[in-house]
Amino acid sequence: MFKLASKAIEVADKYKVDFGDIRVVEQRAQALAVKTGEISALTDETTIGYGVRVLYKGAWGFASGSEMTERAVKETTLKAIAIAKASGLLMRGKVRLAHEPAYTDIWQTPFQKDPFAVPVQEKLDLLLSLDRTLRADRKIKVSEAEMEFIREHQWHLTTEGSRIEQVLLNSGASISATAVENGESQLRGYPSSHSGQMLGGGWEIIEAMHLADHAERVRDEAVALLKAPVCPSGVKDLIISGNQLALQIHESVGHASELDRVLGYEESYAGSSFATTEKLGKFRYGSPLVNLVADATLPGGLATAGYDDDGVKAQRWYIVKDGVLSGYMTNREFCGRVGQERSRGCSRADGYSNIPITRICNLSLMPGNSSTEELVSGIKDGIMMENNTSWSIDQKRLNFQFGCEIGWEIKNGKKGRMVKNPRYQGITPEFWGSCDGIAGPQEWRLWGVSNCGKGQPGQRAMMCHASSPARFRKVRVGVKG
Amino acid sequence: MNKPDSAIEKIFRLAGRVQCEVTVGSRDSALTRFADNVISQNVSSSSRDFSVRLLDGGRSAKVSFNQADDASLKRAISSGLEILKKQKKDPELLPLAKPRPLQAGKDLYDRATAELTPVFRAEKAAELARACVKAGQTACGTVDNGCSELLIANNLGLFARWRESFVTHSVTVTDHDGSGWAEQTSHDAEGIDFGRLNETARAKAAASRRPRDPKPGRYTVVLEPQAAADLLSYMNAYSFGGQFYNEGRSFVCGKLGKRVLSPLLTLEDDFLGAAPGMPFDFEGQPRSKVTLVENGVLKAVVHDRRTAKKAKTPPTGHALPQPSYFGPLAINLAVKPGKDSLQDLIKGTERGILVTQFHYTNLLKPETMEMTGMTRNGTFMIENGRVAFPIKNMRFTQSMVEAFASIEAIGSEAELVPVWGNVSCPPMRLSGFNFSSVTRF
Repeated sequence: MFKLASKAIEVADKYKVDFGDIRVVEQRAQALAVKTGEISALTDETTIGYGVRVLYKGAWGFASGSEMTERAVKETTLKAIAIAKASGLLMRGKVRLAHEPAYTDIWQTPFQKDPFAVPVQEKLDLLLSLDRTLRADRKIKVSEAEMEFIREHQWHLTTEGSRIEQVLLNSGASISATAVENGESQLRGYPSSHSGQMLGGGWEIIEAMHLADHAERVRDEAVALLKAPVCPSGVKDLIISGNQLALQIHESVGHASELDRVLGYEESYAGSSFATTEKLGKFRYGSPLVNLVADATLPGGLATAGYDDDGVKAQRWYIVKDGVLSGYMTNREFCGRVGQERSRGCSRADGYSNIPITRICNLSLMPGNSSTEELVSGIKDGIMMENNTSWSIDQKRLNFQFGCEIGWEIKNGKKGRMVKNPRYQGITPEFWGSCDGIAGPQEWRLWGVSNCGKGQPGQRAMMCHASSPARFRKVRVGVKG
Repeated sequence: MNKPDSAIEKIFRLAGRVQCEVTVGSRDSALTRFADNVISQNVSSSSRDFSVRLLDGGRSAKVSFNQADDASLKRAISSGLEILKKQKKDPELLPLAKPRPLQAGKDLYDRATAELTPVFRAEKAAELARACVKAGQTACGTVDNGCSELLIANNLGLFARWRESFVTHSVTVTDHDGSGWAEQTSHDAEGIDFGRLNETARAKAAASRRPRDPKPGRYTVVLEPQAAADLLSYMNAYSFGGQFYNEGRSFVCGKLGKRVLSPLLTLEDDFLGAAPGMPFDFEGQPRSKVTLVENGVLKAVVHDRRTAKKAKTPPTGHALPQPSYFGPLAINLAVKPGKDSLQDLIKGTERGILVTQFHYTNLLKPETMEMTGMTRNGTFMIENGRVAFPIKNMRFTQSMVEAFASIEAIGSEAELVPVWGNVSCPPMRLSGFNFSSVTRF
């Protein structure tokens, strides 16, 4: 594949581009789903193609194609150069990339069992069995059991001399049940919601979920939620589970710390950020307990790789340290704007047909030294919430509202009755500033976000957010329409 | 684009005696993105993707790929047939659709639009950026264009092809602490008024500087077309699809024939209407015109073949690619316009809020269509029939059933909004819309 790719570098060199690269990407994705007794997805998709990026006289051009011939690679490269020339019509200064050494390397996601080698029938048997358990109550009107496996083989060549081959493998699954009665529906899922739990690795990830051990509980809790009282409204103390905290981290810290957004380069779509560059190293993002670490080397992470799509080696760094804004997600183009000589390696593209953009790395709330039990015992009047159902945040990442599947009242240090439709609202720095307890490493888990959207044209990216349950004081809960 | 027809014939031969459906999606697109008054991304993409569904005696398999040489086709179809053999029978699985006569759609392909050059796009971006630099404003946005083709064929003789071009100019302008936005999409670049869009966004940005703090609470709102379409499209997706209806999760359940929404609201799905599109669905079946809401009365939901069978009603031709997790979806929605201009809607508001756009909207409860989201890029207080002053952005938490039951007036000038398909939507004024909190800007 490198031989075909080298045609792009040859053309780029001939035109004396400032920088050029080609990423050939072969992706296989398998999705299986059973919904209420029917097979609702059984797809096996294989795509291959390449994206060529050039920086010509300081301006960017990108073109992609899927015709795997030298002639087509050459034409695509010429198209990228022509586009870069047009970009030169509206520029202020030349784009310069931060230095990164050239690498020749091979990197692969560690895994134990190849999920694509597990027979489809074995996967379907498991999903059908889970679905039967989930539906074994007449109030369950929708049951869902699904799996997804994605393997991406990348060949990256740059005009700087990098020659990087990577194979990234991700596996995921989830189950959920929706109970419906008298025009009301209640959803419960496991291990997490939306596209389910996905991590870097193979079939062993699915085995470790022990889905069958949770199906009955998921079903029964969905039914029980129908009769549960609605989450009370008011300002209360709040304990958030790891799977909900993952989305809280993602939306209120992850996106807010993407440097392209901070600089206004995502303004036209997803928005910008309140965490502007003059705040770096000074701004109190959260309480001193709050440490958020970005880590492209995190075992099992969805954003874990040897290198990003700028050819920058994987790194680990603080975004928030002891509650203070301490870093950004950066790429080679923008890192110099915050005085960094080297990119943090957050440049990633969705498949072959998209240009790399700044993405959230694996970003984790580091564990504290408490436990969920201790956190509960310190609350007089509060709510515990688990598993996301809805999310919304303003374009500067300040005002947010999240809804969860299930909640429990906490009264006088004891976890009490189940409540439905739990929601909470807040303002990002005030919310993280109210964090006064984080459970310890024994409860720290990785949670995958496999459907993060950003950019124009829209791109999907995946990353993990590890966390253990945490406590927040005086949060507005039970918001109603 | 290369013609994929010969690959389809080869796929049918490789499939042999089993039922075989081939969907080919081809797309050539280009997008110039600008921010901070410079071009920040400039991309072009060309793709052709095949999806093949194989069915045999209640068993099914689907393979997708993007290489159509003989070896790739053989490998993909062999893999699909192998999966098919190992399947258990699904008693609910429908055989492939037979061909049915299709109406012609509107001509939505314009070659010049499909082939707009990167220089054209750069010049359009530069026109806005120059004006913004002069005024101390910052231009962000996109100019994108291209064409797509969808081809659906099966070995029962069904063959349907659709091609359209597209162009969108989307403008966000920031002006110190103000921001404004405007967007227009069309199949024909001649239909895009670049200058008007630029001026609208720039004027909004200037007018929204130094926003005041509003108080959360219930307000009359005047929603510009994009804002109204955003909310309506959610209601369409989660309430007027046959699957949600069959599952008992739609607010429409048990209410067909009843007046639940405002008598001013009539909502139709029509591929020949104001939000035109392809004349067939993703099973190659003819799309029917469906009136979802007529003068506030809930009239119908849309179906694909599977949900129609369960509901014991004829399909309406609204299938998404099969098998579909989501069920059928109406993608050519049009709200019947009223008589008032946007200015008339504002004039008729004693005290209320003008919303340009919503951001990050999301569904909270499908059975009441309770939603949340933020205002963005131009939110203003209306007092005594006039736009009085800009306000900081607000979060709404509101049932859409209640909101669209409370329409006071609908505007006359509809815009085409590409959200969950396309929605042709005029501005509208709603009473008692709940804003639950305010943000800092």
